Amino acid sequence: MSEKTTNQQGASAATLGAGEKFTAYFRNHQMVAVESLAKLLATPLSSLLTWLVIAIALTLPGALYMAVNNLQQLSGHFEASGQMTVFLATDIREADSSALRLKVGSLDQVNKVVYVSPEQALEEFKEYGGIADALSFLDENPLPAVLLVEPPLGIDKDELNVLVAQIKSFKHVDSVQVDMAWVERLLALLALAQRLVGVVGVLLALAIVLVVGNTIRLAIAARMDEIRVIKLVGGTNAYVRRPFLYSGFWYGAIGGILAWLMLGICWILLQGPVADIAALYGADFYLQPLPFAPTCWLILSASVLGLIGSWWSVQRHLVAIEP
Amino acid sequence: MVRFDRVSKRYPSGNEALSGVSFELARGEMAFLTGHSGAGKSTLLKLMMRMEVPTRGEVVVDGSNLSRLREGLVPYHRRKVGVVFQNHQLLFDRSVFDNVALPLLISGTSLKETGRRVRAALDKVGLLGKEKLNPIQLSGGEQQRIGIARAVVNKPALLIADEPTGNLDPELSADIMNLFSQFQQVGVTVLIATHDIALVERMNKRRLILQNGQMIAGHDLSTGAAYV
Repeated sequence: MSEKTTNQQGASAATLGAGEKFTAYFRNHQMVAVESLAKLLATPLSSLLTWLVIAIALTLPGALYMAVNNLQQLSGHFEASGQMTVFLATDIREADSSALRLKVGSLDQVNKVVYVSPEQALEEFKEYGGIADALSFLDENPLPAVLLVEPPLGIDKDELNVLVAQIKSFKHVDSVQVDMAWVERLLALLALAQRLVGVVGVLLALAIVLVVGNTIRLAIAARMDEIRVIKLVGGTNAYVRRPFLYSGFWYGAIGGILAWLMLGICWILLQGPVADIAALYGADFYLQPLPFAPTCWLILSASVLGLIGSWWSVQRHLVAIEP
Repeated sequence: MVRFDRVSKRYPSGNEALSGVSFELARGEMAFLTGHSGAGKSTLLKLMMRMEVPTRGEVVVDGSNLSRLREGLVPYHRRKVGVVFQNHQLLFDRSVFDNVALPLLISGTSLKETGRRVRAALDKVGLLGKEKLNPIQLSGGEQQRIGIARAVVNKPALLIADEPTGNLDPELSADIMNLFSQFQQVGVTVLIATHDIALVERMNKRRLILQNGQMIAGHDLSTGAAYV
């Protein structure tokens, strides 16, 4: 400004070339990204509160998802089996029951038949604590003889129904219970739970948008003067918007990472008890953590929700601020 | 550089701030805009910044008709105009340097160039040694100088000021006015709104006078009424 010549070049010196503009644009993004994060960290307590709210809102559907995911894997073991229990009439004679066993075993759709006599059943029952005492009050063994019938893996429902009808028609067969039924019920419940995860997820996603939107609204109110000055000296709407959008992104992203940590802690806390329960049922099962892909989705969707929340807030409030 | 053509501005409240104002400012000219408070001085400056749009008439600044300027281009227009306020509009959450650097940051000037230009601007207003301080630590006169440094750091072709000496004592006011005339000497078009008649008379520049929204003197260069 000290010489006349420099001033005459002023207008051209203030305009930048396309390449320079591009670099400047990215440098600005980089700077704003770092600065907005630094701003959030400068007020750790209030930022942490927002992050925790977001994290808890994400942990709920995340934990539900994790539970459903685990139950699905558990049900996967049974889904294909279709094992059935054939209860024999209590008055059946030894010879009849072995004949029946052979007859059932010779059917095409039967892989394996195991005979459990009333005495064996009683012995198994006695192994469970507490029940043995109750059983000692009974004069005679109330348990019927049982055939455990195992159809081939992957048998379809219609074939299974035919098989059940066939066995039911045999003499001395009291009733047939297909273990499929509870698997089906479990699957139906799982479908319901999955739907629930979706509904809860959508509601809490909305909550995150609102929480971030409100936080950004307060941030805008606190920086009203700055926005006014920036607009006065030629800041575009995009320039004014940028730091708030990045703040929203950081709220979401870090909230998402916190949610992932919380789910991890839940997993660690529940792993032991679940393994104990599984051992009691003799199942080879342990609690799976949230898999990698859903984890990425969790953090990504949290970031996007943060962005949406801040965008919504910025659109509503920023336009109203004119110098 | 600046042309107002029968410009009227009526606010939604029904108050007509300007009616039929026409005048021109040549490139590199310096002029004062005076008038009683409520005469329309601020409105006139706001129209030049495109902070307001005229109800009737045309405002042309540096060749662009502001009434027809697309909303998205308004920021780019404002970058060409340096503006100084009575309440200086500084940000107290950052240093003097960062306050002055703001327009350059917005236009995406390189960091090296920004440092060079900010120091040149601060040097010009005599505050080079105070770049690291917070503006709140400085006196009213110094704060006003920072405002001026920020207005000129982008090397605008047009510099406008709204009561820049409103809160300052006469001696400081004279300093500030001298600063403005130095910018005029290097080719900047300067328009200053003020009610400090004594100061304006001493400066011996063209004077535009507003009264109840009408320009009663100074609008026509040829009549000689421009200089009072």
